[in-house]
Amino acid sequence: MSNPILQASNLVKVFGAGDAQVRAVDGVSLEVARGELVVIMGPSGSGKTTLVSMCGALLRSTAGQVIIDSVDITKLNEAQLSELRALKIGFVFQAFNLLEVLSVEDNVLFPARLAPGGMRAARQRADALLERLNLTHRRSALPATLSGGEKQRVSIARALINQPQLIFADEPTGNLDSRRGQEVLMILHDVARDQGCAVVLVSHDPHAQEVADRILWLEDGVIRDRKSEKHSWVKDPVCGMRIDEWAEAPFTEYLGKRYLFCSDRCLERFQVEPDRYAEVPL
Amino acid sequence: MLMWTLKGLVAAPLQLLASVGAIAGAFSLILFFQAVFAGESDQIVAYIEKSDADVWVMQKGVSNMHMASSFISDWKAQKIETVDGVSKVTPILYLNTVMVAGERHWFSFIVGLNKGDSRAGPWEMAAGQALPGPSEAVVPAVLARLANLKTGDQVSIADRDFRIVGLSENTFSMANSITFIAMDDLSDIMSTFGSFSYLLVDAEPGVDPIALAARLQSDVEKINALTRAEFTNNDWKIAMQMGLEVVSIMTIIGGGLALLLIAFTAYNHVGQRERELAMMKAMGVRNRSIYASIMFQIGVITTLAFLAAILIVVVAIPLTAWLVPQITLRLTLDALFQVGTAAFIVSLLAAIVPVRKLVNVDPVTAFQA
Repeated sequence: MSNPILQASNLVKVFGAGDAQVRAVDGVSLEVARGELVVIMGPSGSGKTTLVSMCGALLRSTAGQVIIDSVDITKLNEAQLSELRALKIGFVFQAFNLLEVLSVEDNVLFPARLAPGGMRAARQRADALLERLNLTHRRSALPATLSGGEKQRVSIARALINQPQLIFADEPTGNLDSRRGQEVLMILHDVARDQGCAVVLVSHDPHAQEVADRILWLEDGVIRDRKSEKHSWVKDPVCGMRIDEWAEAPFTEYLGKRYLFCSDRCLERFQVEPDRYAEVPL
Repeated sequence: MLMWTLKGLVAAPLQLLASVGAIAGAFSLILFFQAVFAGESDQIVAYIEKSDADVWVMQKGVSNMHMASSFISDWKAQKIETVDGVSKVTPILYLNTVMVAGERHWFSFIVGLNKGDSRAGPWEMAAGQALPGPSEAVVPAVLARLANLKTGDQVSIADRDFRIVGLSENTFSMANSITFIAMDDLSDIMSTFGSFSYLLVDAEPGVDPIALAARLQSDVEKINALTRAEFTNNDWKIAMQMGLEVVSIMTIIGGGLALLLIAFTAYNHVGQRERELAMMKAMGVRNRSIYASIMFQIGVITTLAFLAAILIVVVAIPLTAWLVPQITLRLTLDALFQVGTAAFIVSLLAAIVPVRKLVNVDPVTAFQA
């Protein structure tokens, strides 16, 4: 990949110690290019937020390296990390995290005070963002009076106000209905396409795959690129759950045919009554 | 950040009002007690101040009036009258004792006045005459009101009855009262014929009281001569020392209460805004900016509370004087400065708790749904 904005190599994050030790992220490497929208998916507890927190300079890794715009952030102190986040990174949160006592406009402008360039220029950018995200008529409103979709659009405008090179969005559609969720995904897609901003999107939303340039699957702290690798979908013959044939799922062979299962429990049930389940069309 | 802090404060006006009110209550408690002691101390030195003598002469080794006793022979008084620069010498007798009035006991300074000379007598009268004759007394008007007495009624001093002939103003406080009787009566009670307690010396026009006091001290043996300012200051110090411990305890209690309230308010604010603070940290707001915001918030609350406390005390002082006339209160600039300083220190200390909580706010928690 030429000129990636984000490079993570062999990232490891270990929580706890001794028997209680958990490797939340285990040797993950990834690169994200400018203008690319990467979706990270995976089951709950797979380490997605931990990975994004490390890549977003919020959490120090146990091992490995994170380079943002050619700067190795693992070597920066807290103040330098704060500055990096203020200038180069935007965050969009599932819970919106708007400042409740500030108006829409003041929320959008809040990070601008952390960056050089002056407030006059920032106000012009805020005006443009509010207009682009259809929030101009709500600029004086307090967050409590906004709909979920409006709140998330304000959150996106706030993330963009300092013209960051990298945006991390953690479940941005998690608190929105399907229509509002798709709207937010399209905005993030446009941000990547039109502004050349790299967007790393953590999501369970299947619609996120539609806007993704790449989808990374994280499971048990290990990541892999699902679009660049061969995969196909099959059904668990016992519970009917959709499973990636490529995944390291439990499997067995019966009457010359290979069956994949979502869990060992389904495998065991199959092995007890194979004829009952083998009939299920794949 | 400052706008967020200010808007955060006014967004919950009732909470702000309650916090400021409670802290103001603690501060006004301190100011009120300081005002009580300042007022009471004023009353203790009121007689010296109002006597308007340039120099006070007393027994050697004595340097104040409150709770003191002094004896000075009459020949020394005559000698002092001859010293250059002395215009007039007014002797008084003085006794700290308990007076029985209206079946209650009142601690009182009894001042014996020379026959026909009201120079050292009461300076403001509410009723009756200022100069008592034999077996007559001029008592404080407040005492008479509290004891339900009027002119013509009796009071008892050292088992002797005196008829009230006058009611004086500004001669009563919680700590003491001033009663005037004839010098011969007091001399009889004290069995001190041929001596006085203090001499009030008036200087001739243009004579410096400090120089006169020094001259008296050198010309007349075994006396102590002090200017009115020195003498007042000595009694003031003693009065303040007597109240110092109580004032200190009240200041500590009030300050401690204010500390707890400010710390609780700020801690509560940080707790309520924890997610927002986590998000701010995630966005790149530095800890020092957030600390400054908390300090600013505490500063605003403390300043508002301090101003409210001054307002409360300014209203409470005349109200208290009206409701409880035996208490004299005076708000001094010193007290304001002391409480202001205490408020500043308290606000700094109060910031420790929320700042510690703030340090532990993890920006990663901004990701929590």
